Amino acid sequence: MVSMMSNGSAAIRVRGLHKRYGRTEALRGLDFDIPAGQLTGFLGPNGAGKTTTFRALLGLTRPNDGEIEMLGLPVPSRLHEIVKKVGVIVEEPGLIKSLNGRTNLAIAADTLGFGHERIEEMLEFVGLTTDAHRKAGDYSKGMRQRLALAAAMLGDPELLILDEPLDGLDPAGQHAFRARLKDLAAQGRTVVVSSHDLADIEALADYVVVVDEGRLVTEGPLESMLEVGNTRVKTSDDVRAAEILTAVGLDVRQDDSGLLVGGAGGSSVVEALAKAGIFPDEVRPERSTLESVFLGLTGRGDQ
Amino acid sequence: MSLVRAEYRKITRRKIYPVMTLLLVAFVGLGAFFLIVFGEIAPEAAEGLPVLEKPVVYEVGAQQAATQFWFPLILAVVLLGGELSTTVWATSLTRESRKGRQILARFGTYAVATTIAFLVAFCFWVALAAVFAPGEGFMEPADLVGVVWKSAVIAIAWTAVGTGAVSLLRSVGPAIGVGLAIYFAEGFLALWDPWENVSITAASTALFNVDFGGGFGGLIPGLGLPLWHQLTILAGWTALGLGLTWWGLQRRDA
Repeated sequence: MVSMMSNGSAAIRVRGLHKRYGRTEALRGLDFDIPAGQLTGFLGPNGAGKTTTFRALLGLTRPNDGEIEMLGLPVPSRLHEIVKKVGVIVEEPGLIKSLNGRTNLAIAADTLGFGHERIEEMLEFVGLTTDAHRKAGDYSKGMRQRLALAAAMLGDPELLILDEPLDGLDPAGQHAFRARLKDLAAQGRTVVVSSHDLADIEALADYVVVVDEGRLVTEGPLESMLEVGNTRVKTSDDVRAAEILTAVGLDVRQDDSGLLVGGAGGSSVVEALAKAGIFPDEVRPERSTLESVFLGLTGRGDQ
Repeated sequence: MSLVRAEYRKITRRKIYPVMTLLLVAFVGLGAFFLIVFGEIAPEAAEGLPVLEKPVVYEVGAQQAATQFWFPLILAVVLLGGELSTTVWATSLTRESRKGRQILARFGTYAVATTIAFLVAFCFWVALAAVFAPGEGFMEPADLVGVVWKSAVIAIAWTAVGTGAVSLLRSVGPAIGVGLAIYFAEGFLALWDPWENVSITAASTALFNVDFGGGFGGLIPGLGLPLWHQLTILAGWTALGLGLTWWGLQRRDA
């Protein structure tokens, strides 16, 4: 397991989190840390326990066991202080559809106990100023998500927890939403985004927590995960080169671009081939995709 | 206080509250038509109906308005149930996690809104009575104060029953059904002497202590109960309703 923190402080700390629904064990001793001031992707397939984890963080479900700390304070005993500093979208945005966008934000501000000064600013931030007078029920899904983001931002939160915010958005909506999230992360906020979509997380996150079947699979900076060594090799005789590399125990895949050697650095590949009298035309490191890392770690690539 | 402001905004910006208030006024107006106006415009046809004279007619109006128990029941069920059956309640808890405050803000707002609706309906009755009822005089200031606090007490007790029902069921449709079942069943049970001593319908109806004659007095349950007993019953039902609300919202995840 990789566990690296960017600046040593965790915005969220979870230890041994268990949650059962009847006989179904949704969380099985989940441990992870979310570093402060970064955009973290909370990644896992459907049913991995992402939403249950977020609901436990926010006191919406009571875990059977485990410890949670957010912004240095324990959950749930200090939750009423924490929620003032946290912006949230969990599951469907909790909007009152018969009320217009601006009134929904006014209600959110009142519930938070804050003034209405930031409402117009937030409407502008999410690009809904001209639609603020329309009923939330008449909004597209993307507009509702953006309104929910505006509501989550009203309290100028240190931490944003967003459950599948890009789910169901069209490409333009996803693009706009991603841009907003990157803006927020650039301001130094801690943003946690859950998704089952690997491309979403790869495009957004600085740090990744991968969960599956209610357990932590891995966590760490995205860059270090993607740098896990694959080597691209091109030779004049790829078939023979593949045989040689396989014979020395390397994981080799042949595709249209040549050979992709997993889990080995360029020097060991060159050495093995040179011993057999083959001198490659090209050897370069190739980054993994989050998909390949995820499939490798969860074993789902074999299914 | 800001939670109350949020609830006030929710209730005043949606159609359900003014629509229900209009319906309440219409029901009370219908009662006024038969008990006040009908006798004036068609005295022969109204023979046998009690003649309500000023100032008693105003007391009857207060009772007629404040005993529309369906109003607080349905208002509470629809507003709170609408939140519980969607993600609005959970989202609200992510902004203020203390459920007790959330419940009290909603409960208080619904009860005040109901009291205001009762008083609006009462004013409509007063207007009709002032024009059509025979006799002279108006209520004493102390009686008017009584109308306000008695309406509020009834609104509080029945709102608590409504929030309790919907918190247990978490679904608007079944909770409306249960609310109306309580409304009708309790109304019948109130006529049964042993139950009358604990009946919310009896205590609410008798709070105004109005017997408008015509042999109808015997049909009003709880008239013989002393005021302290009526208030105790209503306090008990309020506590029960709020207790069920708290328990219903605690026992399951948001």
